[in-house]
Amino acid sequence: MGRYVLRRLLQALPLLFAISVASFAILKATPGGPLAAYEGNPDFTEQDRLRLEHAFGLDRPLPIQYLSWLGSFVTGDWGYGFASHQPVLMLIGERLPNTLMLMGTVFVVVPLLAIPIGVLTAVRQYSIFDHAVTGTTFTFLSTPTFWLGLLLIILFGLQLRWLPLGGVSTPGAPFDLVDRLRHLILPVATISLVQLGSHVRYLRASMLETIGQDYMRTARAKGLAERVVVLRHALKNAAIPLVTVVALDIPELFVGALVTEQIFGWPGMGRLFLDAAFRSDYPVLQGILAVSSTLIVLSNLIADVTYGYLDPRIRYS
Amino acid sequence: MRRLSLALAVLSLVLAACGQPAPGGATSAAPTVAASASPTRGGTAIVAIWQFPATLAAHYANQTVTDIVNNGVIEGLAETNTNGEYIPTLATKVPTIANGGAKLTADGKKLDVTWELKPGIKWSDGTPLTSADIKYTWEIWMKDPKVNNRTGFSEIESIDLPNDLTAVVHYKSIYAPYPLNFGSLMPKALLEKETDISKTDYVRRPLGTGPFKVTEFKTDESITLEKNTNYRDTTRPYLDKIIFKSVPSSQVGLAQLKAGEVHAMWNLTEAQTPEVEKESSLALLVVQGPTVERIELNTAINKEYPDPSSVHPILGDIEMRKALLYATPKQQIIDKLLFGKAKPGSSPVSQGWAAYKEPQESYDPKKANEALDKAGWVKGSDGIRSKGGVRASLTYATTTGDQLRERVQQVLVEEWKAIGVEVKIQNQPSSVLLSGSCTGKDPRKLGTFDLLMYASTPGIDPHATILPRYHSKQIPTQADCSGQNYTRFKNPDADQAIEDAGGTLDIEKRRANYAKVMKALNDAYVIIWMYDRANIDARVTGLQGWQGNTWRRFTWNIGDWWLKK
Repeated sequence: MGRYVLRRLLQALPLLFAISVASFAILKATPGGPLAAYEGNPDFTEQDRLRLEHAFGLDRPLPIQYLSWLGSFVTGDWGYGFASHQPVLMLIGERLPNTLMLMGTVFVVVPLLAIPIGVLTAVRQYSIFDHAVTGTTFTFLSTPTFWLGLLLIILFGLQLRWLPLGGVSTPGAPFDLVDRLRHLILPVATISLVQLGSHVRYLRASMLETIGQDYMRTARAKGLAERVVVLRHALKNAAIPLVTVVALDIPELFVGALVTEQIFGWPGMGRLFLDAAFRSDYPVLQGILAVSSTLIVLSNLIADVTYGYLDPRIRYS
Repeated sequence: MRRLSLALAVLSLVLAACGQPAPGGATSAAPTVAASASPTRGGTAIVAIWQFPATLAAHYANQTVTDIVNNGVIEGLAETNTNGEYIPTLATKVPTIANGGAKLTADGKKLDVTWELKPGIKWSDGTPLTSADIKYTWEIWMKDPKVNNRTGFSEIESIDLPNDLTAVVHYKSIYAPYPLNFGSLMPKALLEKETDISKTDYVRRPLGTGPFKVTEFKTDESITLEKNTNYRDTTRPYLDKIIFKSVPSSQVGLAQLKAGEVHAMWNLTEAQTPEVEKESSLALLVVQGPTVERIELNTAINKEYPDPSSVHPILGDIEMRKALLYATPKQQIIDKLLFGKAKPGSSPVSQGWAAYKEPQESYDPKKANEALDKAGWVKGSDGIRSKGGVRASLTYATTTGDQLRERVQQVLVEEWKAIGVEVKIQNQPSSVLLSGSCTGKDPRKLGTFDLLMYASTPGIDPHATILPRYHSKQIPTQADCSGQNYTRFKNPDADQAIEDAGGTLDIEKRRANYAKVMKALNDAYVIIWMYDRANIDARVTGLQGWQGNTWRRFTWNIGDWWLKK
């Protein structure tokens, strides 16, 4: 097992290197560039362009630009954003708590709701409840988040005036937990409703498969209560695939939700990434892409390892 | 790995779908003075902004929203009132030739400008403002490699400081826009020991002399300004606090304004104005600005770096260019698509002392057809004209994702089709179309367009607009890509007039020469001036003291704002 993990980690290194080269190449190949934002200003001259290109290191050959970024990156210097001139690590540090708050809440809320609903729909297959859940989950699964988010804003923010229209807190007011929670409700609901759909479907399918197994009949034949049969014998086994699905969502804790953060004006990682993408702010983009690709590779490994731990039939070789 | 590629694919879709917010709209004209009862003091006003400043340091900033915030904080020696006149801010007067503050050197080739500071002014931290700060501002702009541009500052040879309140600025040339050169002063005492200002707190909490000071900067959330107790006018500001609150879009900003969560919002589209007009608790501030939306016609061959003397097979014909103008219903577009909140364009300089308002020919499709018939463009069986085997088929580019521009395109494609000219829409993201860079593949620079629609905003002194855009030496080529003469307009008389205008401080002579250039431009029919755009902002009626300013954003007199109790 230890050897397996070590081998996977070593394999990940060239993979991550390749990803960072590829993302660097894609960023550079995108037309536009970080100086496009200066255009529009009649005072911005060709000399200014050359000076800024030099100040940002954009006048060096591409391989040198990449290597110098990589060299600094691995030693902990992630460079400075072109637009704000602030350290990339600081820019990320400012947004990360907001994203963790948003996505962390989603991570707690979704399983808490998905597990009971998933179990019930499987146990009561083809009941009215099951049909209702199936219908609802498919509806949300196929709803684009930007539309759902706007719908919730219009309904609860504009029409009913129950909840704020966006942001993390009321500006200018001192810290207030209730205020924070009120701002959290709509964005969390937007992401959760969509995620909930897929997780409930997963659990339902896997529960149905488990419920049909022979050992379930054995458990019932032993005289165990139906509760115990479902929760201890069926759910424990059926939850295994769900664990891996959840593990694969870990990178989102860092990356945030691009669309939802944009709609709700949530100052998190997703918005940082979008803003940086529009401005071709290469150091910021490179930093976020490097971390998120590392997390994706790691979460794949975690998913595989947990799966093997939970299901002893899986062998690593 | 599959998941990764999926994630990247989704990401790119999202990026494509989200599009970029339309680049900052416009600045504007008639001053609408809010009916002011007697102002009350105190209170907090919240202003919604849908862009967030990446930096507040004036010498780094390149976003309009930075000015919106800094208007309350940073001041300069002089500024512009809504009539385009220079008025002193921190200086006792604006130096001119007439009042003896500005003098040409003996050889008549250089300019010396003497600025006198008002006495007793303090930075908001209590340190005195001196003439050394003027010199320091120039030094920083020239020294810091990351400044946005060095316009004006690069024309300065040296600065003498005869005393604490006087600075004599020696220009290397006759730099006409000198009054606004020092529009944002920087504090020497605070910054002189810093090796790199970009790494200091100044970029988020700049020190200024304005009515407010920045007390909190929460990235992507809010910026809080509080009353500057050291402000030179003890009767201002009326408000205790201003909070600039980040909203994700102007749509949401408007929603928050209607819901009473904010008191004012920056930059509405024309299409949003009816929504505000029907709410009695809200008021609009519509100010005509210098921004002009135009369609530029490429007169050289549509290919990368064409020979500037090459001739476009279709648009090279002046009758064709004239016909396209005749078939452009500007007023109808303004009434229907811009809700009457703009004026038909007539030149690149629509406001200020050099404004040229001689209108272009008005909408008349009959004349368009006559011009084309006369020039030998014959309609084929499909209704599209051709001449000598060349089919009148053009491409029409603008920025993607801009609803207004896309609607204008639809109207014009129909109008032009009716006179027998086929036009195909070929839009590109603004980060490419307006990148202004040859390596960034800006089609205007490369010359790879037929018709291209965008907006440009000249400064109060039009030279920086007229010279690079309409002098024949400013046609971008592979060897020198710096020019902005995108239509490849060539006229020796216009060239001469531009050079004459740049060589004198005599405002009458300059005005006459610029008018000559703009007339030549319109006589050549190389640009269709679509409309002069207004700056539109909105507020709750309880927020008083607003005034429009053509040359500055709505927060320019933020010290005079007050809240009705």
